[in-house]
Amino acid sequence: MQMNDFMMNMILSELEDAVGRENCSTRPIDKLAHSVDYFWLSRMWVDRGGRMPEADIVVSPKDATETSKVLKIANYYKIPVTTWGAGGGTQGGALPVAGGILLDTKRMNKIHEINIEGMYIECGTGSIYKHIELAANEIGYSTMHFPSSLCCSTVGGFLAHRGIGVVSTKYGKIDDMVLQMEVVLPNGDIINTSSAPKHAAGPDLNEIFIGSEGTLGIITKAQMRIFVQPEERRFRAFLFKDMTGAFTASRELLQKFKPSVMRLYDPAETSSLIKKIIGVERDGAFMNIAIEGVSELVEVEEKILLDTFKKYGAEDLGSEYGEKWWKEKLTFFYPGNMMDIPQMFGTMDTIAPYDKIEKIYWAMKEAIETNFPQAIFIAHFSHWYEWGAMVYDRFIVDNPPQDPEEAMRLHNAIWSCGVRTALANGGVVNDHHGVGIKLGRLMKEQYGPAMQVFEGLKKELDPNGIMNPYKLGL
Amino acid sequence: MTISEKSKKTIDSCRFCWMCHHICPVGNATGQERNTARARALALSLVNRDALEFSDDIINNLYECTLCGGCTNDCVTGWDPIVFIKEARTEAAMNGKSPKYITKMIDALEATGNVYGIKKLDSELSKEISLLPKSNTLLFLGMDARTKVPSAAINAIKALKKSGVEFTALADEPNSGWAMDTLVGATEETRQTMLKAASVINNYKTVIVFDPSDAKSFIHEYKEWGIKIKAEVKTFTAVCAKALADGKLKLAKSNTIYTFQDPALLVREVGESEEPRQIIEACGELKEMFLNRKGTMFAGNLLMTEYLEDTMKLIAAKRWEDASRTGANVLVTACCSEYAVLNMVKPENMELKTIEQIIVEA
Repeated sequence: MQMNDFMMNMILSELEDAVGRENCSTRPIDKLAHSVDYFWLSRMWVDRGGRMPEADIVVSPKDATETSKVLKIANYYKIPVTTWGAGGGTQGGALPVAGGILLDTKRMNKIHEINIEGMYIECGTGSIYKHIELAANEIGYSTMHFPSSLCCSTVGGFLAHRGIGVVSTKYGKIDDMVLQMEVVLPNGDIINTSSAPKHAAGPDLNEIFIGSEGTLGIITKAQMRIFVQPEERRFRAFLFKDMTGAFTASRELLQKFKPSVMRLYDPAETSSLIKKIIGVERDGAFMNIAIEGVSELVEVEEKILLDTFKKYGAEDLGSEYGEKWWKEKLTFFYPGNMMDIPQMFGTMDTIAPYDKIEKIYWAMKEAIETNFPQAIFIAHFSHWYEWGAMVYDRFIVDNPPQDPEEAMRLHNAIWSCGVRTALANGGVVNDHHGVGIKLGRLMKEQYGPAMQVFEGLKKELDPNGIMNPYKLGL
Repeated sequence: MTISEKSKKTIDSCRFCWMCHHICPVGNATGQERNTARARALALSLVNRDALEFSDDIINNLYECTLCGGCTNDCVTGWDPIVFIKEARTEAAMNGKSPKYITKMIDALEATGNVYGIKKLDSELSKEISLLPKSNTLLFLGMDARTKVPSAAINAIKALKKSGVEFTALADEPNSGWAMDTLVGATEETRQTMLKAASVINNYKTVIVFDPSDAKSFIHEYKEWGIKIKAEVKTFTAVCAKALADGKLKLAKSNTIYTFQDPALLVREVGESEEPRQIIEACGELKEMFLNRKGTMFAGNLLMTEYLEDTMKLIAAKRWEDASRTGANVLVTACCSEYAVLNMVKPENMELKTIEQIIVEA
């Protein structure tokens, strides 16, 4: 369709009719605010005085019904729709790179039900997760989802890119924390996934939409699990001479019980970030463990932890560092503590079984440091399973090119190198930050012919290709 | 833009930081991304880089901020978005770019001493003031109580009398300068307004400040301008709480369950959170809202209702949701302006009272 002033205003009036005039905006400030998210390239671009692609219209529906109306209008006119939670994503997944409609979910922030018996809170997916946590705390419970972006991301945002929090080893990832979801399909139909997960009524519909990054539909309501607050949460920090010992010890530990927090820092991150924030000034690999739950069990689990880690030469640093880390767990991410422009940086998180994860770390470290000597490589391992772990590896370039196009070229080259190395050694494109526009080009490299499953879903559900174009490699 | 280095640094820190997203009352109530510290900082950072015009749209967005300090309070690394928002408002004023709804209030302020353009004091309040004796203690009622919520002003007078405090009040009270500072920041007009108020206040030994906004100005902005207040500044709630502790104020405790809305400026800028609670707990049971004390969520003010009435109502309605979850029967406020906005959207199943009202009634 050829867009002109007349048609623009016609479409605008239809959208205003759908969501209310005050919730439909063409204000420059609204377009600007939605044009930059946490993606380094978008930040760099505006830092250099450039302007990122902007939506033509920003709409804020209050519920699934209004969302449905918006999608029907968008489908009729074949206008791109990009869904935005709070913009805290690092992969450019919420950026309206194709223009069109930006659908901000934050008006869908109602807490519909707090169900103690069913152990969930039903809420609009535009709710900031911290608010859900506060609602749970109010009745003595917790969501047990504590990512660093807890205060600045929505329920829908976490679901859209399969987020994870720091106590994931015990309580699970976001896909473990959701029961039923309400989803608006691209054609405007409103559907509900099954009333409970873990069923045998065919494949789980939740899993089709979780991680789909707004390319297959818009999640508008979700039942998020709540947990009884632990009687006790104990911390214990350790120093391993090398990471191999830490991996072996952790794998063995996870065959016995699940701690809540497990974070292993490589020697480079131990001597930089951990030294700065936590104050550990030692060589080696720092590891922080938290055990929580019923006090009697915590007592037993702590003994198992100490015995297991001692066997692998870990030095017990006591509880103080762990407690400090817990207190500061969000502090890391405030301006002044976190990497920021003018530095170039990225987190290439990937996941693999134990037989591959350490190999991936060393291969990525070597690939980045060899091919990009201007980059520093640091890493930690912060989400653990009985079968494997994720590596949160970062590159930092202190003095990237000033020219924005050159900076983009270098940024993308480092990313391609790092992720391809992970893939070649048995990893995946990403663990919990998602794909977005940043890594879409690498999805086919990971999945090969399996990508046709996603493409088939996309074609069937979104035949006009309006939903979040150029994201997820779809 | 001619803004300070401190503001420029804050803008460049806040533009890419999302950490206070959850705490902005306007952002949470409206669901609009522009109502965040980072959106305002992003726009101003582009203005500073000559990549964006300092347009009416950006300036309007500056006036959507309540200056409640939630983001500042929440920032663990100490950035203060209020600094650059106020400086940018000043910049707009200096360049004749203030929005019409702002200049209208400034004109009214200069003509009548209040932003609402109300010329006459409420007759009942006027009578109450005229009956007060001369004293070296002044009750400073403030713009909003005098013009928009006279019932609160009258109850404040009655509550202080009940507390055994000897005081007077002024029929022609000067404006504290808070409103001008909010509208255009640190301009010469603001300074002159404050100087005028100081010259009146300094005739008294003690000033009991009823409105937390005025208390904040007397304590902070006057110092920043180097304007001396010789009089001892005390808040209304602190004076009543002291009288209660000294046994001069007697309150009858009932079975009523209260919850309390901490006024953002009282708790964050004046540092007062326990005094109102001591009063409420003497009147009944207090059940806290989850976001309380310094973490309070602003619930609206009258000045902004002049140009953003719907937004103020949304903010107040959001806070009523928090209040209703406590199971309390009565929401108590210690700021008459917040009371007035909360009253606009009061749910039927709860009561709303000012702290001076419960003192008078208990």
